[in-house]
Amino acid sequence: MTNGAFEVPAKGGFSFDNCKRNEMLLNKGLKAPGFLKTGTTIVGLVYQDGVILGADTRATEGPIVADKNCEKIHYMAPNIYCCGAGTAADTEAVTDMVSSQLKLHRYHTGRESRVITALTLLKSHLFRYQGHVSAALVLGGVDVSGPHLHTIYPHGSTDTLPFATMGSGSLAAMSVFESKYREGLTRDEGVKIVCEAIASGIFNDLGSGSNVDVCVITKGNVEYLRNHVQPNPRTYTSAKGYTFSKPTEVLSTKVTALAQRAVVTERGDAMEEE
Amino acid sequence: MEEGTKAIPHQIGGIHNDALRFGFHGVRSDILEAHPLQSAVLTVEKTQQDMKRKILSNTYGSALPLKMDLDRQILSRFQRPPGPISSSMLGLEAFTGTLDDIGFEDYLNDPRDSETLRVPDMHHGMEVRLGLSKGPVGPSFF
Repeated sequence: MTNGAFEVPAKGGFSFDNCKRNEMLLNKGLKAPGFLKTGTTIVGLVYQDGVILGADTRATEGPIVADKNCEKIHYMAPNIYCCGAGTAADTEAVTDMVSSQLKLHRYHTGRESRVITALTLLKSHLFRYQGHVSAALVLGGVDVSGPHLHTIYPHGSTDTLPFATMGSGSLAAMSVFESKYREGLTRDEGVKIVCEAIASGIFNDLGSGSNVDVCVITKGNVEYLRNHVQPNPRTYTSAKGYTFSKPTEVLSTKVTALAQRAVVTERGDAMEEE
Repeated sequence: MEEGTKAIPHQIGGIHNDALRFGFHGVRSDILEAHPLQSAVLTVEKTQQDMKRKILSNTYGSALPLKMDLDRQILSRFQRPPGPISSSMLGLEAFTGTLDDIGFEDYLNDPRDSETLRVPDMHHGMEVRLGLSKGPVGPSFF
């Protein structure tokens, strides 16, 4: 088999170059940095016309709040969105990559993407990396076969549910869903329950906080409500305003014109191609 | 015909044996994989290819995967000479379907962007490709 085939140029991917070095350093007694706890509340539910996704907007680095207003609802396709919990870079990289795959698939087939396609792409990718890509996702969308809501765990297992929560605030959010969810919710009722679920995550889970993002997906329409509820507004700003030191001044300006463009005209016969 | 049968089997990847050109290799560290994930990522493509071939031969008979292997071999031979610009393998990618797919391997840690990649020697590379000399074409380290 391999005698006939040539070696093709190598491709990229994960680099394992430093694994052996790190293992050696660990054996020599170096203390490796510990894991940072991730925190998020993301939810989704199916209502009568489609799917509603919700997320908080706090990004943490262990005990530090890194971003008070980040986006956790990622675009996958015009009719599919995905909430991400876990390592922010991983959720973003995975959703962006699968979003590109879906776009290529749409170019190939010329049809609207289906939620099950996104689900399969995500779970096969996550399973291949055996949980080392730490992305816990809530995938929602409306396609030709109706509204769909799925949760995907970092190791690649998936659930298909009418309402779903993920992240460290998932228990607080699930308590709201389990007491208030019913079939055939209207849009306003659905958005209200989603906001309530996220708010319970924001106030009861230390890893979640700040504002509520909501995304309502219906057949042929998406409503992305960024900062739909802001339960933690900024309470204090200096009445006097803030002054900044003077920026670096521009002392002189000189613009040098580009060289005159030379136009080459061919004379005689064009060179024959060979 | 005679020339064709005289091809020296050249190594593709794997352990490099030419100590004078590519340096010694530590026995244990080169054979063992650095991370349990590494072998899984490396073998998954081959496993999927084998599975696909099996499905095709069960569905259409054993001739089709054989013919596809031939096509794959022909397309994998269609390359630029070894050197700084690597082949894009457009035909092979169109044939295997990777053209319609994008993954981590396409944009993360691209070897062409590597700071430590040593450009393979063209003459030696051609000799390896034609089966006149033993591979590998070039070490991937300094």
